[in-house]
Amino acid sequence: MKFLISLIFLNILHTSLLWGAEAKPAVEVFPATPIYQYAIYGNLVIFWIGILGLLVIIRMKLREIERVQRMGLDKEKS
Amino acid sequence: MNCPRLKDWFGERYDTGALRKYMRGKLLPSHRYSLWYYTGGIALFLLILQFVTGMLLSLYYVPHAEFAHKSIIEIVTKLNAGWFFRSLHHWGAQLAIGILFVHLFAALLLKSYRKPRELLWYSGFILLGIAVFFGLSGYLLLWDERAFAAVRVATGGAGALPLIGNFIKAFLRGGIDVTGETLTRFYAFHVSILPLLTILLLALHVLIVQIHGMSVPLSRKDDLRREEPFFPNVVYRDLAIWLVLLGIAVTLATLLPPEIGQKADPLAAPPENIKPEWYFLFLFQTLKLFPGDILGLNGETIAVILISGGIFILFILPALDGKSRSGERSPLFTVLGIGYLVYFVIMTVVGYFS
Repeated sequence: MKFLISLIFLNILHTSLLWGAEAKPAVEVFPATPIYQYAIYGNLVIFWIGILGLLVIIRMKLREIERVQRMGLDKEKS
Repeated sequence: MNCPRLKDWFGERYDTGALRKYMRGKLLPSHRYSLWYYTGGIALFLLILQFVTGMLLSLYYVPHAEFAHKSIIEIVTKLNAGWFFRSLHHWGAQLAIGILFVHLFAALLLKSYRKPRELLWYSGFILLGIAVFFGLSGYLLLWDERAFAAVRVATGGAGALPLIGNFIKAFLRGGIDVTGETLTRFYAFHVSILPLLTILLLALHVLIVQIHGMSVPLSRKDDLRREEPFFPNVVYRDLAIWLVLLGIAVTLATLLPPEIGQKADPLAAPPENIKPEWYFLFLFQTLKLFPGDILGLNGETIAVILISGGIFILFILPALDGKSRSGERSPLFTVLGIGYLVYFVIMTVVGYFS
């Protein structure tokens, strides 16, 4: 459901961007077929979810490293 | 991922232990301004992104006045995700130049150029100049009417410089006017000469950073200095910032793909309200401030001389700022740096909305 809402929101955003354009571009620089547009926006949402997931993992890893450093365990190892 | 056999293979042939020890031993000063240290890494990441997307585009681009425009249309309309890589290359360039300006002004205001890091400033300044020229040369490769007119204006402006101006203009254009020769020349600059210069200068820049370490602002020198390991702490943070930046570049590339105009026609009138790329707007706007004639002298020539002088003063700042060189505070140069920054921002904004 959230995924569908995201797709609809992104489509509205894209439509509003086109609405503001003064003139139609001479060349279609973005796929015009609706199914491709949905696929692209869907991929963009998944891409961001992936990035957020990686950020969470990096944050956890960094906190663990800092905890080990605070305890001085990294110096003991070397 | 752990590959002991691969590690052993390298370990038997190369002293990887020394490199590992160096990486683990490398410390970075931590203070309230250390956020600005990350701008260099961001610029490096964006440069790599530009190299990768540029390589992909060059597989299909045809650097000829007759076919250049058509080849880009084919990249955008016929190739799988061609539109996306072209758009990503465009937005990567905008972000890279933007972050290079941020990096420059951060180094300027934190006085990172002071002794012994003068060479770091000079090499970085030239790298920014190269990045701007990357932008100009890449813009012409589109070979549409707006790019054509903008490059005509930009190269014409260089021609206003006394003595060497006409030589620079002819050298850039490969003739009297912007023609197919200019396209060939700009393509050569964009895909071979500038990348080679960038790699060499970047290697020098990074090497100097390794030799001198990160600069600590004078205002933070007296603080109790805390240091943190470059690996893994800073590397992980760098990685997180790069991920966010990649997300921003991909989002911009998807939502705002750059337009392609009509094919350039040297005989047609230039389109109305021609503006250069945003990083040239402060120069463009400055040129507009000057009248055509000042005391019988060409106004454009005077403007170009003043702008060149201003840029040259910024370039040789480490040599001028004697107080910073001897480890003292130099508020005059801080004010000068803020002046440059404010002027750049105001002129760019005015140029954008005018």
